[in-house]
Amino acid sequence: MSKPSDLIQGTLDLLILQTISVEPKHGWAIAKRIEQVSEDVLQVTQGALYPALHRLEQQAWIRAEWRKTETGREAKFYELTKAGRAQLEKELAQWERLSRAVGLVIAQ
Amino acid sequence: MNLRRKWDIFGLRLRSLARRKRVEEDLEKELRFHLEKQLEENLAAGMPPAEAQRAALRRLGGMPQIQEECRDMRRTDTLENSWRDLRYALRMLRKAPGFTAVIVLTLALAIGANSAIFSVIDGVLLRPLPYPEAGRIVRVFFHSASYPRFPLNPFDFRDFRARNQSFESLAGFTRNDLQLSGTGQPERFTGFQVTAGFFHALGLHPARGHEFTANAEIPGNERQVILSDRLWRTRFAADPGIVGRKITLDSRPFTVAGVMPPGTEHPGNEYNGVAHGETVDVWWPFTFQGNPAHRGSHYLEAIGRLKKSVTPAGAQAEMNALIAQLAREYPDTLAGWQALVIPLYQEIVGPSQRLLLVLLGAVGLVLLIACANAANLLLARATARQREIAVRAALGAGRARLVRQMLTESLLISALGGACAIAIAVGGVRILVALLPAGFPRADTIHINAAVFAFTLAIALATGMVFGLAPALQAARTDMQDSLRAGGRGTGGNRAHLRLRSALVVGEVRLACLLLIGAGLMLRSFVNLLRADPGFRPEHLLTASVSLPDASYKTQETLSFWGRLTANLDSAAGIRAAGVGTDLPWTGYDDNIGGFTIEGKKPRANEEFHARYHVASPGYFRAVGIPLVQGRFFTDGDNMKAPLALIVNRSMARRYWPNEDALGKRLTFEDHPKEKDWMTIVGIVGDVKDKPDSPAAEMALWWPVGQTPVSVNNMAVAVRGSSDPARLVNDLRQAVRQLDPTLAVANIRPMDDIADANVSTPRFALFLVALFAGLALTLAAIGIYGVISYAVSQRAHEFGLRMALGAQPGDVRRLVLRQGVKLALAGVAIGLVGALALGRVLCSLLFEVSAADPVTFASVSALAMAVAALACYLPARRATLADPANSLRSE
Repeated sequence: MSKPSDLIQGTLDLLILQTISVEPKHGWAIAKRIEQVSEDVLQVTQGALYPALHRLEQQAWIRAEWRKTETGREAKFYELTKAGRAQLEKELAQWERLSRAVGLVIAQ
Repeated sequence: MNLRRKWDIFGLRLRSLARRKRVEEDLEKELRFHLEKQLEENLAAGMPPAEAQRAALRRLGGMPQIQEECRDMRRTDTLENSWRDLRYALRMLRKAPGFTAVIVLTLALAIGANSAIFSVIDGVLLRPLPYPEAGRIVRVFFHSASYPRFPLNPFDFRDFRARNQSFESLAGFTRNDLQLSGTGQPERFTGFQVTAGFFHALGLHPARGHEFTANAEIPGNERQVILSDRLWRTRFAADPGIVGRKITLDSRPFTVAGVMPPGTEHPGNEYNGVAHGETVDVWWPFTFQGNPAHRGSHYLEAIGRLKKSVTPAGAQAEMNALIAQLAREYPDTLAGWQALVIPLYQEIVGPSQRLLLVLLGAVGLVLLIACANAANLLLARATARQREIAVRAALGAGRARLVRQMLTESLLISALGGACAIAIAVGGVRILVALLPAGFPRADTIHINAAVFAFTLAIALATGMVFGLAPALQAARTDMQDSLRAGGRGTGGNRAHLRLRSALVVGEVRLACLLLIGAGLMLRSFVNLLRADPGFRPEHLLTASVSLPDASYKTQETLSFWGRLTANLDSAAGIRAAGVGTDLPWTGYDDNIGGFTIEGKKPRANEEFHARYHVASPGYFRAVGIPLVQGRFFTDGDNMKAPLALIVNRSMARRYWPNEDALGKRLTFEDHPKEKDWMTIVGIVGDVKDKPDSPAAEMALWWPVGQTPVSVNNMAVAVRGSSDPARLVNDLRQAVRQLDPTLAVANIRPMDDIADANVSTPRFALFLVALFAGLALTLAAIGIYGVISYAVSQRAHEFGLRMALGAQPGDVRRLVLRQGVKLALAGVAIGLVGALALGRVLCSLLFEVSAADPVTFASVSALAMAVAALACYLPARRATLADPANSLRSE
């Protein structure tokens, strides 16, 4: 089990932003979603997830709101702000560039 | 980064900081939710509950650690650093209490003075007038070449009201006091006769009863009255059933039609002027009496509320068109007139606007000087702290970080200054309001309020930025290596440093000179004002006014009353002279009469003979102290049986009979005079100007009270004694009561008070500008002292060497003095040039002084140079104490 942040610095931000880009989610749902989509390769621990969420919120890239879940419990939902969507675009572009570059080096 | 995001971030940080507890609770709740989800999942996977709990907790890792990390993420560098900067700045200021006290105190004085003046400006100029949609209220005047602002004729007014399209409501009003007798001492109340719609024009409504309708304007219906809230409470015990009750005013029954609510402010008026404010106690109907074709007399003042889409200029254009229309119907009386429509705000506030703006300018200059001074002191300290700053830079503090640290210090200083300034402003405003000239508009609305606090805060912060920036940037440029190596005696870059500080001092001296010259000019003008001969003798003179109700005083009774009153007063012990007249000097009386005929003369083209008209009893001139130039005063013999007599003033005699003797000349008001209609000039009296600062006296004529062609029911009484006029009050009351106990003796005032009120505006301006100039000069002196001491400390080594080589202490002293005087000279020179330009602004506040008065300019230069030399003297003496041996040893 490896922390995403062990892979590449800042990748966790990208994963979180991408995950909530479709619809607002709470912390638990974000972690679960990342695990599912990555077919359990990427496991996000709470110790990394929550500080990251709070950092992103402080950067005004995501916005938090207390809402009821489908089971009627209060949970803190995160969603992208306008600035956050722009940031996601930027990070995606960067990731493309980086992975392409890594790919080129490995293909040598 | 876009603005919205910056704002969001700021809000979030503020929340993390300010609502720490709430944020913490949220965090715990959020993590607990996660834990419960994990627990659910574990249970769903078939774990026994205890096992599921343990696994969930394990999976989560330490809660406190996560919380701490989240806190870290929230905690922001900027705020944390600011806090650290602030604590550091506090420490630095505590370390140098003397320095801190001087700088905070000077700033507090400057900012406090600004806040105090601002609170006056806020109350008088910025606060809207106390009427709904006050911007639509205007005053309407007639206007011609000889009378720039003239009241209206009632019938002209009525036609305007009927024909105009511009006004939602156009109303007329004219001063006419009423006296109440019956219970207690008779009292006269300031009153106005108003047309229908007067309160509607102001946007006010009676709290009880109703406003007068057009019906009340019909002669015979005028016995109705609306009372002020004050009068209703003090004289009628706030009787809730007052409306409809009859009260006796001027010996006649009046029906109370309404009571105005508290805060009903009179809009101010010109004719027998009453100042703006809660100054009026009774309003009663104005009635249109007489022949509507006779439109010569103008005494009705007009006020109107414009329709929403109409501008004052638009209304004025329409009024002019209406005058042209009416002039075709009444060519004799309306030709040559134009309309003047002035917004009420301008009317009330206009005259004091310039004075207040000049004061704001003066106090702003003081603030600039205080800024320069603070910058200077901080620069001096930055030099002393060069090593500290270099060490911090060497340890990795970035330039921006250093600038921020220094700015935090200056902002802290200015914030402290601002806090003290509030205290100064609170006291200052009280003093200011007490000092305000008599009749200053809206003085009661001047308070320290939120706007004043905001202003103080804003200028304190701006001040901090302004005076902090130069020293901060300078500090950030400090050459690290140089400072560290030189061991604190660094000399590199000090030349530029000294240049900056010298420039600041030159600027300070310059601004101080501007203020000094302003104060000097005002002082000269004030002295001129006091020295000028008023044309009468205000000392030992008691004045009052007495009004005889028309109901019981017809012409004969009136004349007999005045004759007996003055005779009784004359014979009383301690009274040297007594008289009655239509008016007293310097009380704003300005009734004119024109169109008379002077025997054997023709008026100049486009002009008619005109003069201020007055009525006086025989003793009036002696009582007031107006000297006789030629001929005689009136006597009791000037009555209905005698030929008509007239007294004119010197201005009128000179104007209409140049190079001739006016005495014995005749004039008449009749178009086809018979022999008995001619009035003969029996005396010429000295000139009295309208106000002490009027450019010249108006032409004036007096009728003897015994032959008066106008009503003399309202008269001013003048009683001259030989000592304190307050002693005469009882004699006067007694004399009036003896003749008629129902009469009120109103407006009892020593003439000295009236004279004093007339110079209160220039005195007020002089006091403040002089105060600010003194403050400015002190600050500039501190600035010079600071720079020269610094220069001396830098050159101590050099001075020691010079003395070792044979220079005398006197030589060294001269050297230092020369440096300081050079700075002051530069400042004074620039200041004088600036003052010449400034003079134009001050012109209207000056009396018989040129704005480029050489005496003022010369004395201000001398004063500034002397103070500068004094400020240099201490450092110069210190320079001579440099020890030659010390200098030689270190060489």
